Amino acid sequence: MSKVKGQKYKSKVKNELSCHPELGSGSADSGQARMTEGRSRNKFGMTIVTFAFFLLTLRPVFAQQVSLSISPPLLELVIKPGKSVLIAYRIGNFGDPTIMKARVLPFVPVDSAGNIVLKEEFEGPIRFSLDNADIQLDQAVFLNTKASQQFLLRIRVPEGAPEGDYYYTFFGEAQPATGTEGTSASRAQARIGSNILITVSRSGRVDIKGKIAQFEVLSRFTLKLFEKSWRFFDSGDKIPVILIAANEGRNLVKPQGEIVLRGNFGEKATYKVHPQNVLSGSQRLLSATPSAEVNCDVKKPPAYCRRPISLLLSGFFLGSYKLSTTLSFAEGAQNVFAQTSFIAFPFKFVLGLFGALFVVALIVKRVRE
Amino acid sequence: MRKSKNEDRKRKNNREKLKTFYILVVAFTSSILVLSFGSVFAANYESERYRIQFGEVNIGGANLNSANYDLSVSLGQTAAEEFQSQGYIVKAGFQYLHSIIPFQFSITDVSIDLGTLSPNKPQTAQTTLIVSFGGAGQYQVTAAEENPLRALSGKTIEDTSCNGEAHTCTDTSAKLWTSNASYGFGYNMSGDDVPQDFINSNYYRPFPDLSNNEPPQIVMSNQDVGKNRQAVVTFKANISPSQEVGSYQTVVKFTATPSY
Repeated sequence: MSKVKGQKYKSKVKNELSCHPELGSGSADSGQARMTEGRSRNKFGMTIVTFAFFLLTLRPVFAQQVSLSISPPLLELVIKPGKSVLIAYRIGNFGDPTIMKARVLPFVPVDSAGNIVLKEEFEGPIRFSLDNADIQLDQAVFLNTKASQQFLLRIRVPEGAPEGDYYYTFFGEAQPATGTEGTSASRAQARIGSNILITVSRSGRVDIKGKIAQFEVLSRFTLKLFEKSWRFFDSGDKIPVILIAANEGRNLVKPQGEIVLRGNFGEKATYKVHPQNVLSGSQRLLSATPSAEVNCDVKKPPAYCRRPISLLLSGFFLGSYKLSTTLSFAEGAQNVFAQTSFIAFPFKFVLGLFGALFVVALIVKRVRE
Repeated sequence: MRKSKNEDRKRKNNREKLKTFYILVVAFTSSILVLSFGSVFAANYESERYRIQFGEVNIGGANLNSANYDLSVSLGQTAAEEFQSQGYIVKAGFQYLHSIIPFQFSITDVSIDLGTLSPNKPQTAQTTLIVSFGGAGQYQVTAAEENPLRALSGKTIEDTSCNGEAHTCTDTSAKLWTSNASYGFGYNMSGDDVPQDFINSNYYRPFPDLSNNEPPQIVMSNQDVGKNRQAVVTFKANISPSQEVGSYQTVVKFTATPSY
């Protein structure tokens, strides 16, 4: 084996020597050698270009992806019995070509954070249909990549429909991928929805019964004394505020108002409450602005990361503070008021100071001794 | 005579080299040009620092304010304002909700292949859920299975209860699932806006079973406006030695909806 290698090396050296103009045996040989060298360079160049072409044209292989968009994201409708309305929805496909269906199902609110759960069976007096010439609800539609489909949704309230609120979700449902024989698999089905809030009213008047269900600050230290709760914060702490509105009426309400913070030195700050829908017979956590930034992406997230909050107050607080809120549930309706309070004191600073003084005292005592 | 012949050859050789060089340059430039052609998109303008996304083709629009008022203006937008007709009031359109970035939901892989299941050897597979939203702010994604993993014979792999006893998980509460002697089918969530009971990658929940009338559960939700909120779903299945051999399948429905 080594002998063969040695022979190859010798012939290579011989070739190289014969190709060199000063060491070669003759000019004709050297010309031929140059031609051979040129050809080998051509081959080398072409190989590089081919490799570059293949490398650059290589694309990563992705699994089957579903990506849908929907617009508009929310619809609020106040309508008389016996009337109908036409709404244009658009569902776009940003993923692989897919087959999808448009459907409408009722939903119910499940918590005060604004989350909902779809019912899998249709119910209620409202009638939905599509005015598209070639598509019906629950009918499969092919949607190519980067294509979109307009769905003309006809919402009809029958003449005898009872007054009240009805909540539905119009959604596009991609057909799940076909299963693979021989392996166990779970197939994911994507559904994207847009909520429809319908208030059926003959006169246009709505039933407003709103109240403040909860308004308080979330404190780590609470002292209950003389039937009153005293909430304590360190001066540097951020103060999380919770404001939950309850709707006991038959129709949805959109409370508007503000939260006011008053300090014992006369300082005052006002925070505007975002108008958000509170559905009939439910509660909703309202948010207010401007709120401090909530950063929960830390190793030890603060306590207020465990649940949604309405407002996060930041700054240096000292003494007793009063927080009040005033909400209006409808135009002309009586305002609803609630208030809470907290005490802020630089506990950490004072503890640190006492600790430092103690250490200094110890050192002084030792030095004297 | 011999010298001139040599020079001729030299010139010829140089010309060939030059020709080869030109061919190489042209081939390389063409391949680069061909490869750099991208898809043609709608009128979106962007630089390193900004991106203007055209949800609708408008004449103009702006947010204006002074000491006494805030005014949001949109011209040429269809169904831009709250409009009224005889018998109904409709509130829709992007001016009403500022939904310039449409509500979008993606699943990166819809076929979650768990492979061939062997007793006491848990199999996992992942997919990513992505939500983008520039509109009303709040969103949620719920999950539920049509039925437990089921073979053609009708045999099923039951939903997991995790490690059991103190670590018994439910549809609403994730618990530790590390024991290879605990069987079933479940999922873990990690990433943006996922429920807090998924403490780490060893915490699992079973999917709510729609065939058993269990309500879908929220697997992603956020109160704030978000773009590209991503969460990884890890599916896990582990079977007992008495489990019948077969190909077990189910459909998991992920439903994304913006806030009301």
